[in-house]
Amino acid sequence: MTEQQIRDKIRQYSHFAPPDKLRIVTDTSEFMSIRAGDLLELDGHFYLIRGEEIEGRFGLDGEPKFWVKKAIDLESGQAKVIKLVFHESFLMRLGELQIRCFRSPHKESRILDKVRDHPHFMQGFTIRDQVGNLVRIIDKIQGTRYYDFINDLNMDHEQYFHEIFPLVFKNIVTCIDAIHELHKNGEVHGDIRNDHVIIERGSSVYKWIDFDYTYEWAENPFGVDLFGLGNVLLFTVGKGFFNVTEVARKGGLWEKVLAELTTDDMSLFFSHRIINLKKLFPYIPQGLNEVLMHFSKGAEVFYEKTSELLDDLGTCGYYPGVTG
Amino acid sequence: MSVVPGATAERTLIPHAGGSSGSLADRMEHSMKSKVLIAIDHSENALKAVDYVGRILSCHPDVDISLLRVINEPSPDLMPDSNDRRRVVDQMKEETLRFMETVGVRLTGCGIPESRIHLKIQTCQKVTSVAELILHELRTGQYGTVVIGRRGVSKREEFLFGSVSNRIVREAKDCAVWVVE
Repeated sequence: MTEQQIRDKIRQYSHFAPPDKLRIVTDTSEFMSIRAGDLLELDGHFYLIRGEEIEGRFGLDGEPKFWVKKAIDLESGQAKVIKLVFHESFLMRLGELQIRCFRSPHKESRILDKVRDHPHFMQGFTIRDQVGNLVRIIDKIQGTRYYDFINDLNMDHEQYFHEIFPLVFKNIVTCIDAIHELHKNGEVHGDIRNDHVIIERGSSVYKWIDFDYTYEWAENPFGVDLFGLGNVLLFTVGKGFFNVTEVARKGGLWEKVLAELTTDDMSLFFSHRIINLKKLFPYIPQGLNEVLMHFSKGAEVFYEKTSELLDDLGTCGYYPGVTG
Repeated sequence: MSVVPGATAERTLIPHAGGSSGSLADRMEHSMKSKVLIAIDHSENALKAVDYVGRILSCHPDVDISLLRVINEPSPDLMPDSNDRRRVVDQMKEETLRFMETVGVRLTGCGIPESRIHLKIQTCQKVTSVAELILHELRTGQYGTVVIGRRGVSKREEFLFGSVSNRIVREAKDCAVWVVE
C-alpha cells in the first residue's frame, strides 16, 4: 500500500483526516509508546490504532490496557482488537482465596487456532511482528456484555424467571457446552466471568472473550473454570447476585427468608453470597437449585468436569441435552 | 543408577540381594504384598509418611520400598523459553535427588536395608496430574500398598486445585492406601 493509499483508507474508514506525518510501527515490544493515530504494519497489512481498550470490569471505569489496542484493518475497514505481548503474574482474588495467575499470549494464540470458526468464541489469528513478537489480531465483537444485559433488565425476578430466563438459560448452557469443548481439547478459558460473554448485536449469539489467563497447577485443571461457570449460573438464575446485607436491607418478608438461611446456603468462596436461591424465590425448580448448591459451603461433592455440570443441567427441564 | 523407559529415573541404593522360594504365583503375590510405594514431595507431611512407614515396616523382612517424586516441567505458557524450562527441571531434579537420599537415610535409620529402597523421579514434559502418575506407577509396579502424606486442604482449595490424596483414595485399586496426616 502506498502512503497515499494509506491516507485514503484512513479517511474512508476512520472518518478522520490522517495525521501530517504517518508513524508506522513494525516492532511492538514497546507497546506503551504505540498511540492512537499510529499504524501497525504486520505481515504487509496496515492497522490504524484508535486507542487502548479499557479494563471495564463490572461496570466500573477501569484502567487502560496499554497492550490491547483498538484498531481498524485498513484492508477491510473491520474493527479489530490487537493484543500485544505482555507477560505478567499476579495474585487473583477468588472470593476469599488468592491464587497466582499468569497472562500468557502463547496460550490465547493457541486457543484462537483451536476455536477457529466456533460460533461461541471470539475469533482471530496470530502473526509475528518484525522482531518475532506474537501479535493477536482479534475481530471486535459488536454487542452487549452479558453482565450488562442482565443488570439492565427492568423487571422483577419472577417476571424475568418466567419470561426471559428460559431463553437466557439455553444460551448460557450453550456457552458452558463451548467451554466443555475447550476442556476436551486440553485447554481452559481461565477467566470465566459474566462480563467475558458478549451477546453479539444482530445475531444474539453469546461469545466468550479473553482467554489469556493461565495457572501453574495441574491436579484439577478445570477447577478455576468451574468456579467461574458456577458464578455465571448463579448470576443467570438469580438475575444478579444476592448477598445477606442486601436482603436484610429489603426488610419486610425478606427478614423471614433471611432467618431461614444457614451457612450451608452460602457460597463456598464468598461468605455473604446466597447460593440457595430457592429460599429467596420458591418457584425455582428443585433440580436447578441443586446444581447451584454444588457451589455452596454445604456441598459435599464438587463438579470436577464440565460434562458433570452439563449432565445435571440437562435434567433441569430447560435444556434438552448436551454433547458428550 | 539405571534409567527405565519414559522419563522415570530409577535408582536403588544398593543392588538387590535377591533369592526367594515357592511357586512363581506365590512369589509374585508375596512380592506384591511386600512392595510399598511412597509418593513424596518436599513437604513435612511427606517426611511424616516416610517416618511412619519406617517405624511400622522395619520389622518386615521382605519389605521393598519405592519412593516416587513427580516433577512437572513448567508449562510453556508460563515459561516460553525451552532452555529456561530445562534449567528449572535440572535444578528440581538435583534438589529432589538430595531430598530423596535424605529420606532414604531416614528409612535405613529405621532398619530398612538399603537394598530394599528404590528412588524414582518421574519428570513430565507436559504438565500432568501427579495423582494420575502415582496411579499409573501403582498399576504398572504391582504394589501392595501406597502411602501418601496429606497436608489437609480446605474445601475451597480442593474445589480449585484438587487433592492428590483424595484422588488416590478414590481411585487406587487392588492395594492398601495409607494416608498420613
